[in-house]
Amino acid sequence: MRRRRTIVLPALAAAAALALAACGSSGGSSGGGSSSSAAAGFNAAVTKVVNPSSTKGGTISFGNSSAPDSTDPGNTYYAYMWNFVRLYTMPLMTYKSCPGACGLQVVPDLATGPGVVSDNGLTWTYHIQPDVKFEDGTTVTSQDVKYAVERTYDRGKFPLGPAYFPLLLAPQKPAYPGPYKDRSKNLMGLNAVQTPNATTIVFHLAHPFADFNYVVAIPQTAPVPPDKDTGANYQLHPMSTGPYKFQSYQLNKQLTLVPNTYWKASTDPNAKQLASKITMTMNMNANDIDNRLLAGDLSVDAAGTGVQAAARAKVLSSPSLKASSDDPLAGFTWFAALNTTLKPLNNIHCRMAVEYAASKTGYVDAYGGPVAGGAIATTVTPPNVVGHKTFDLYQGASMPGGNVAAAKQQLKLCGQPNGFTTGITYRSDRPKEVAAAQSLQASLARVGIKTSLHGFPTATYDSNFAGVPKYEAQHDIGISFYGWAADWPDGWGFFFYIVDGKAISPAGNTNLAQLNDPKVNDLLNKMALTNNDATRNSYTSQIDMQVMKDAAILPGVWAKSLLYRSPNLTNVYVQPYYGMYNYAVLGTK
Amino acid sequence: MITFIIRRLIATVFLLIVVSMITFAIFFLIPRLAGQNTYQLATEYVGRNPTRAAVLQVEAQLGLDHPLWLQYWNFLKGIVAGAHYNSGTTSTYCPPPCFGYSFRSQQPVWPQMVSDLPVTLSLAIGAAVIWLVAGVAIGVISALKRGTLFDRFSMGVALAGVSLPIFFTGLISLELFSYKWPLFPNVQYVSFLTNPYLWARNLVLPWICLAFLYAALYARLTRAGMLETMSEDYIRTARAKGLPERTVIFKHGLRAALTPIVTIFGMDLGLLLGGAIITEYTFSLHGLGLFTILAIQNQDLPEILGVTMLAAFFIVIANLVVDVLYAYVDPRVRH
Repeated sequence: MRRRRTIVLPALAAAAALALAACGSSGGSSGGGSSSSAAAGFNAAVTKVVNPSSTKGGTISFGNSSAPDSTDPGNTYYAYMWNFVRLYTMPLMTYKSCPGACGLQVVPDLATGPGVVSDNGLTWTYHIQPDVKFEDGTTVTSQDVKYAVERTYDRGKFPLGPAYFPLLLAPQKPAYPGPYKDRSKNLMGLNAVQTPNATTIVFHLAHPFADFNYVVAIPQTAPVPPDKDTGANYQLHPMSTGPYKFQSYQLNKQLTLVPNTYWKASTDPNAKQLASKITMTMNMNANDIDNRLLAGDLSVDAAGTGVQAAARAKVLSSPSLKASSDDPLAGFTWFAALNTTLKPLNNIHCRMAVEYAASKTGYVDAYGGPVAGGAIATTVTPPNVVGHKTFDLYQGASMPGGNVAAAKQQLKLCGQPNGFTTGITYRSDRPKEVAAAQSLQASLARVGIKTSLHGFPTATYDSNFAGVPKYEAQHDIGISFYGWAADWPDGWGFFFYIVDGKAISPAGNTNLAQLNDPKVNDLLNKMALTNNDATRNSYTSQIDMQVMKDAAILPGVWAKSLLYRSPNLTNVYVQPYYGMYNYAVLGTK
Repeated sequence: MITFIIRRLIATVFLLIVVSMITFAIFFLIPRLAGQNTYQLATEYVGRNPTRAAVLQVEAQLGLDHPLWLQYWNFLKGIVAGAHYNSGTTSTYCPPPCFGYSFRSQQPVWPQMVSDLPVTLSLAIGAAVIWLVAGVAIGVISALKRGTLFDRFSMGVALAGVSLPIFFTGLISLELFSYKWPLFPNVQYVSFLTNPYLWARNLVLPWICLAFLYAALYARLTRAGMLETMSEDYIRTARAKGLPERTVIFKHGLRAALTPIVTIFGMDLGLLLGGAIITEYTFSLHGLGLFTILAIQNQDLPEILGVTMLAAFFIVIANLVVDVLYAYVDPRVRH
């Protein structure tokens, strides 16, 4: 799952910021400092390019309320970083730079075309562009891509990025440890990746995997020259192949990018080199970021998760500010996993009782309402996952307050006519999730389901509590709050880690429902084996339907983010895969 | 005096060792006693959906698979002798005092703290000068003009200063003087060596907000001390001897009233040097306070350990300085 970085804000500061919202410009001020053009309109950048321009020059300043997990393309899992690294990297594949559904297409980036898969589905071959250069002028070769993949095997050095290559590529004995241990032996020692010539790279898989083009669109295939690799320090200056390169980086404070003179627009049509400088200031106060955005001192909120409550009030109450904002689907679903192994929730009717009794209105309100929070979710996948179909098995949309009668009926079928007791876990440092848990507790109480609330810090939620099946069993945890976005926008990319039985692990588990339904597992397996796009994508809604029939997940909210679009920016649009503005194409007036 | 200072410095070293042991125990030992194993601890520092092999790799990389006593010994050794770290392609030497390597960024902790230190020093010392001068001056005048309009007004403002937290005054000042009327636009730390004007301009709001809180407290303390002192017999004697009023106030009155002020000033400054957490957070200043918040949020144990040690060091040193100053402020101490 691409991680949506949520920063714990001191609650007191948030309260003060809310109080100050009234002090702000609720009148006609458009903010954005020196903007001279009229705002394009609310949600304009969701479907079209706002301020299209090829004007060069200026500085784009990003403000970030956290720091990147890593600026090393091989070691990052934050959604906004996958967006941002396109400014200085070119992975084999990427997402087409365009608004609307067009932006969900995976297209070649460093590669000349999509991967060519062998008949048995076990081999994927890519040819790379012969004239792409690193920032020092040396030509990128297929060996640089292979080396980038090799690095991901050393989880000690790079623990934060996804681990699809060790999972999918053919294993070797002894297991490949990455290129650092015994460098003379292991450098270029990954047998599952072959480079027959300087422009060809061949991946040998352990099992057929039809989504492999998506896997190589993860920044981990951005080439790394072995002689320039500095291991854990590479994050301080990754070698650029994109339109910009690192000029300076003060770790977790300030990053400055300047144009990469060896980059050519002809080899990288999904990115632009317009601004003469890009900066990212990290670990800023989130409310400060919003205010600086509105004042025109900042160009973009890097996290791309929307403005805070105080600025939200300003933006929504001012027509001119609202006209410079967008409210796209973020690609996230906030949900509660229902533990399928724990009594009495191991009985499907008890889980269905929870599905019916839950108030979706309360869930959405807890997340900030329909504009800033999101829409009522009736399926696990949000609409911007390829193959999604909307359905409503438990009347979440038609009866958003919950269907108490249907819930009580299910409780009878479950053998618990008077309800039952169970525990709810949630991340206590996420106020919206706390409110959602309290809302669910209240709505379940209406049908006699008594719940106890157990809040834990985000940092240890997966490792010690909700993600530890043994802990859940010992403490009678039947419901766990969570959120999920796809690593790539199709059904497999969304579902595997949250519903496949193979994904259940003793710690750090993300299949919180501990669902091990052979039908679901089989559908995911078929999806992995089907190369035909239309057939493969049809499995998405089938999996979704089966998970909902299993009542393993209570979908709550399809997340939305209220993004403020600085009027000074050009080429602004929401890339639907990221659910935020496409950072690779921005310019400034 | 020199013997006194040496004795205190030796005690300081022992105190810091005790602080390090306690901090280490809180973050490394107690979780284990509560049932957390090193595998679970390592899982916190791996990305999503980790395989067992990945977690074990991280456990080894961070040294969590070593016995606790060895981990602690390595930590102490790093402070005294430095440490080597294998970054993959090279071995990086972290010179003393090496406070270990961040579990998150895999970079040495000490240089990160050092780069944050000028921000905190600039903030704390600048604010301290303002609050000490303003607080003591207001306190003295209020005491001498007891019951006047000035006294009532200044003590009212002081009460507000003590009551209004920085996250409120900070946001108000930013809203008014940075966003709405940009007298101090785009507040961010600029090094004094890079641009002294911008350094001062960008710190004016944080200084004033921080000083407002402390000045209020100091004004009330000074006022109370002065009122008490000025009613002492020896003050009456001094006046009876015909000493000028200025000498009576400053040499005999204020000097005695300052004793508790010096004590509390040392403690306050020491605490602030460890990080003015809320001020730095409110104004997005990358000082030790923000570093502390992030270390806690990220559960980055070496960073927490490092910043705790540094904060403890500042407090201990500040106490030492206070003790030395005492000897000058209060002649009785010297005897």
